[in-house]
Amino acid sequence: MAEETPVKAVQVKLVLLGEAAVGKSSLVLRFCQGDFNENTSPTIGAAFLTQKCRLENRIVKFEIWDTAGQERFHSLAPMYYRNAQAAVVVYDITKAASLEKAKAWVKELQRQANANIVIALVGNKLDLVSESSTSPAPPASEEAPAEEEEEEEEGSSEEPSATPTPNETESDDARQVSTAEAEAYAKESGLLFFEASAKTGHNVGEIFTEIAKTIPFDTIVPKSTTNTSGSRRSGNNNDNGSNNNVNLGEGQQAKKGGCC
Amino acid sequence: MSLPLHLRSYREKSKDELTRDYFNVPVQSSLPSPSDPPSVVKLRERPYKNGQEELQSMDINAVISVEGKEEVYAGRLSLLPPFLCFISLDRKSCRCTIPLYTIRRVERLNSRAGVFALSLATWHGMRIILQLTSLLPTAEHFAILLRDALKSQLSAMKQLKPFLPSLYSEYLLSSPVSTAAGQQQTDHLLLGTELNEKAGNVGTEAESDLRGPGGEGKGIYQRGLGEQFGFPGDARKMRERSKMKLWREYFMIHGRNLTLLRYPPFQRLLQVGLPSRLRGELWEVMSGSVYLRFANPETYGLLLSQNAGKSSQSTDEIEKDLNRSLPEYKAYQSEEGLARLRRVLVAYSFRNPELGYCQALNIVVAGLLIYMSEEQAFWLLEVLCDRILPGYYSPSMEGTLLDQRVFESLVHRCLPMIQEHFVSVDVQISVASLPWFLSLYINSMPLIFAFRIVDCVLAMGVKVLFQIGLAVLKINGEALIEVTDDGMFINLMRSYFATIGDSAHPDHPDPRVRAITNFQELLVVAFREFNVITDETITAERKRLRAIISDEIEKFSKRAAVRNLKNVGKFSKDQIGIIYDHYFSAICSPEAGPSTYPGSSPLPGDQFDQPRIQVDAQGRVETRIDHRTFRVFLSQIATWAREETVTTNAFIQRTDRRVADHELIDRLFFAWDSQNQGTLSLQDVVLGLNRVMTAGLMESIEWFFELHDKDKDGFLTKDEVIQLSESLLFIFRNEPGDIYLAAVSKFILNAYEFGDATAPEGSVDEKIPIHGDKETASGARERSDSSAGPHNLPYLNLATFRMVVLADELLENFFANDLTASFQLEQTGDEDYHQAHQRPEGLLGGLMNLVVTNENKNRLNRLADGFGAALGKHAEWRKPALTKTVEPSTSSGDLKARESLLTPAQQAGQFQRPTPPRQRSSSAVSQASTKTVESTTTIGTPDEKRSLADVEARYREESQMVKAAQEAVMHRPNFAIDAIGDSDDDGEGEGDDVMDEVEAFLKAHGDDDEGLKGEQKKVAEDLLKAEPMGKGKKKDSSSTSTGDLVDL
Repeated sequence: MAEETPVKAVQVKLVLLGEAAVGKSSLVLRFCQGDFNENTSPTIGAAFLTQKCRLENRIVKFEIWDTAGQERFHSLAPMYYRNAQAAVVVYDITKAASLEKAKAWVKELQRQANANIVIALVGNKLDLVSESSTSPAPPASEEAPAEEEEEEEEGSSEEPSATPTPNETESDDARQVSTAEAEAYAKESGLLFFEASAKTGHNVGEIFTEIAKTIPFDTIVPKSTTNTSGSRRSGNNNDNGSNNNVNLGEGQQAKKGGCC
Repeated sequence: MSLPLHLRSYREKSKDELTRDYFNVPVQSSLPSPSDPPSVVKLRERPYKNGQEELQSMDINAVISVEGKEEVYAGRLSLLPPFLCFISLDRKSCRCTIPLYTIRRVERLNSRAGVFALSLATWHGMRIILQLTSLLPTAEHFAILLRDALKSQLSAMKQLKPFLPSLYSEYLLSSPVSTAAGQQQTDHLLLGTELNEKAGNVGTEAESDLRGPGGEGKGIYQRGLGEQFGFPGDARKMRERSKMKLWREYFMIHGRNLTLLRYPPFQRLLQVGLPSRLRGELWEVMSGSVYLRFANPETYGLLLSQNAGKSSQSTDEIEKDLNRSLPEYKAYQSEEGLARLRRVLVAYSFRNPELGYCQALNIVVAGLLIYMSEEQAFWLLEVLCDRILPGYYSPSMEGTLLDQRVFESLVHRCLPMIQEHFVSVDVQISVASLPWFLSLYINSMPLIFAFRIVDCVLAMGVKVLFQIGLAVLKINGEALIEVTDDGMFINLMRSYFATIGDSAHPDHPDPRVRAITNFQELLVVAFREFNVITDETITAERKRLRAIISDEIEKFSKRAAVRNLKNVGKFSKDQIGIIYDHYFSAICSPEAGPSTYPGSSPLPGDQFDQPRIQVDAQGRVETRIDHRTFRVFLSQIATWAREETVTTNAFIQRTDRRVADHELIDRLFFAWDSQNQGTLSLQDVVLGLNRVMTAGLMESIEWFFELHDKDKDGFLTKDEVIQLSESLLFIFRNEPGDIYLAAVSKFILNAYEFGDATAPEGSVDEKIPIHGDKETASGARERSDSSAGPHNLPYLNLATFRMVVLADELLENFFANDLTASFQLEQTGDEDYHQAHQRPEGLLGGLMNLVVTNENKNRLNRLADGFGAALGKHAEWRKPALTKTVEPSTSSGDLKARESLLTPAQQAGQFQRPTPPRQRSSSAVSQASTKTVESTTTIGTPDEKRSLADVEARYREESQMVKAAQEAVMHRPNFAIDAIGDSDDDGEGEGDDVMDEVEAFLKAHGDDDEGLKGEQKKVAEDLLKAEPMGKGKKKDSSSTSTGDLVDL
């Protein structure tokens, strides 16, 4: 793998968790579009995707495990989040219960996963409640129409017009989790926090940007036993302390990284 | 949170069940009898029906031969009603499963003396000769059983005629053979046609000839989506027509569909890939699902009609996955294809509500539906979930987890280098292999290849999944050693599967070698190098690892359940863990009642059959306990909620625990049921316990008061006062001495006295006469009963109640300390339950299991009691709930003396008071409730500490004795009998034995593939020509009367 990375490439194992149908797969597909290949398997246990992002002086290669949301696959999740450096825990802002599940995932990660795992809490389906409280969709949303097909997981086929704010009251009703509530929880638990829309692409890039910025690359210890062929890993150790000024080439910086 | 309850009710399969599994034959009880209404929802245990006896199974040595075939095979013939099964000694050359309803006629052949031979004429006109080579009486017995079983199937035979046209092979053999000229013409026409390898891109018109006769609108056989949307793959490249021709020829001699015999050519035809049109039928025949479809003709339709329009968590989940199921196949881009997929998955989710729907089933069923009709796929799905991939898709997916572990252990054994490397870089093989197993490789490699693996799995069983998996790893071994993380591993596997149709040796000079594809190489490696992986290997490994997996699952769900609690009160994490353990073990305890259906006929479509599982508002499944289970739970925690009988005899001292039953327990149950659901969640229980276990004096008084204040108006009625005192008496029932009794009767008196003074206006319309201190509890009760005043009016409020309690030193102490302390969180000892309860394996283990059953333990106890009684050293007493003093009671006469003190409930004999009366001053009361009591001078247990230590020591002694006995049995020298006949012992060793036997046999009887030679073959040949025994002879032996079954 080292041969295809011209600059120092940093590999980040990231796992997506959350209740079924909150739009995990849609988020990843949105993020990985460039790399997206049609034969990506549906989620059995977990789908595996990769996406590279260019930083100023390094390339971050996300290896993404998009886990199955069905409850019975829960016991398989540890297989995917072990050794993960980052986790995106997704809930659906139009379904209060999904936040509860998300909290359970966060607790599990904090107890069972890597000690310094970076966790982002993401409220998806912002498009269904697009009131003006949040900033309008970033430029990324231009590509939206072409991606209709991939949003099937959101089950929103009946409301393709939901994006342009149909009427204020209705969208108020749809939202069941307030931004403030989730943000407060995220802050309290030391998580990054975003509200995003896989459908419009709003904030999606930012999630990953912020994660990339937050991961303490210096402290990523190469796996203890990789000495045999761990040339890629040892490369990481050289770029110390440079992660303060990094910026992903694409997307904007998120304002609300409520992190440490 | 739904808990994995079923793991504890798991039992290993019996030998009969294993044999049935091997022959893909359903267990007898799962087949409906003709008188049954069509079964819709699956029953786990079919209730025993009166008058209908199970037909007996029997095994016998036999030699099989078929008219028109040279080969003769010796093997084992099994009568597994309603099926007759045969397997040759080498376990591969010849095998068949014949439903008895396809046998038209059975005759005993008139042959040489000493040879017992039967001739079977099947529905399809085949004549099978079976020589029963066991001793004559055995053979005759077999024949009698066969006759009985055949008779029972006469009615099923009538359904055969309408059923058979649903099978393609019937159509195939009834259609005329196309002429060679015709074939050439179509070949010519197709030469220019560009056929794409990709799934679903094949023109259907051209297919009809290339893939054999048939197609849309032709015949009425059941067919898959492929007939309409095109089968995956290039029919020409896959040589579909010649395959079909070979199958047709094979069917002519070896029978077809229900009467199909597997002879050596079968294996070869199978491994080159089944032809598309025939695939669905062969799948259901090989897997045995066709027998279920035959036996349950109405089920699928009923499931759909009865559940039309219903939605459930499963149907929602199915809906989400429909568009993600083989979307590359054309049919699944159409409404027709999606509708079929939806119907099958939904029907099955209602058929098996416990399983419901599991992701990956969508892929599997989407695959099946290309080649099968909905009904065919439905029944194959049932066989997959029940038998071929047991527990793979269940709510805790224990089968999947188990087989992943088994796979890892096989990799460790067969490919140690790869295993070691993966361990060293900390990559789990399961990240790649999980989908292989869950979706039968359908999702992992191009469809045309994946289906060939499915062919083999359905024909040969789950071991194929392991063999293929091992072969994949082995072939990629060099690259795998370079892998450093899961990403590389996944990508490597992906690119291998993507090129599986390519040449395995692209640079080889020999074109024939170049033509070998990766896939062919894979099959060769899988079936040649890993043929050491047998069914027995898998069974043994599963058995070895099951307990570990079960414990892991239980621990995992415990962690999750504990973590998901929103409020843990003042409990520590460990304490919560203990509460969970009690909660869980109560649910699993047999005293909590059956965990299966409450009645024999559950309502069809009931989403959750288990009374302890509920769906919450968000549609999530939650495990809850009913009040019966709660009693068990509480008996584990509250000392007064159980009856503990301590028995000493000459040998040992033991304590028997029983669940107590009293209204008080039910009151607690309803008080803790915060949402009035009639059941308690773990959260309810934790909060309930939190309140009672952290309570001080005032809080205890308060909750105890509230418990008896039914209408929550802040007042107890007179009746409730009585009920409350009954509750107290219940708690005190085993306390030694009179003091508690006295305290309660004083309490009642005081309550009435204070109550009359403080009761709200109007509730005391008749003055209750108060007698003196001599008043007894029962007296008070009688009096209050007889008084005309209403007993349901508010009477005693909390403040007054408190006053009454505090007026009595003993009661005060009880509420201040004892009540709270009577709830005790003790470890259940359920840590690693499954591993601890794992039964010793092998024949010796089997013997041990037979000996060390609970029943025998009880019997032994009774025996010891008897001896003890004879020696005059038998004694029994109840452990009190509050004081820890233990003393044997002998004087039952005292009981009667104090009967007047008891409430009516106690007089009814509900509670025995084994304690001898003792005089004690009231100043000793507080001491009595604490630990120190010196005055207990009785035989055997001079002081309490001593006695406890005694009990413990004796327990230890006892368990050591049992242990020693176990070890002794384990170490006894092997008897000859130990070496044979135990299929569960060591898979490998046993396999070797069989192999030795086979080899020895083959040496004596010629080579394997050709079957028998020489003398025995001659006999078999003679038998083909032999005449059935004449009518006159028939009467001689009962066995020949099987010939009475004539064709319809």
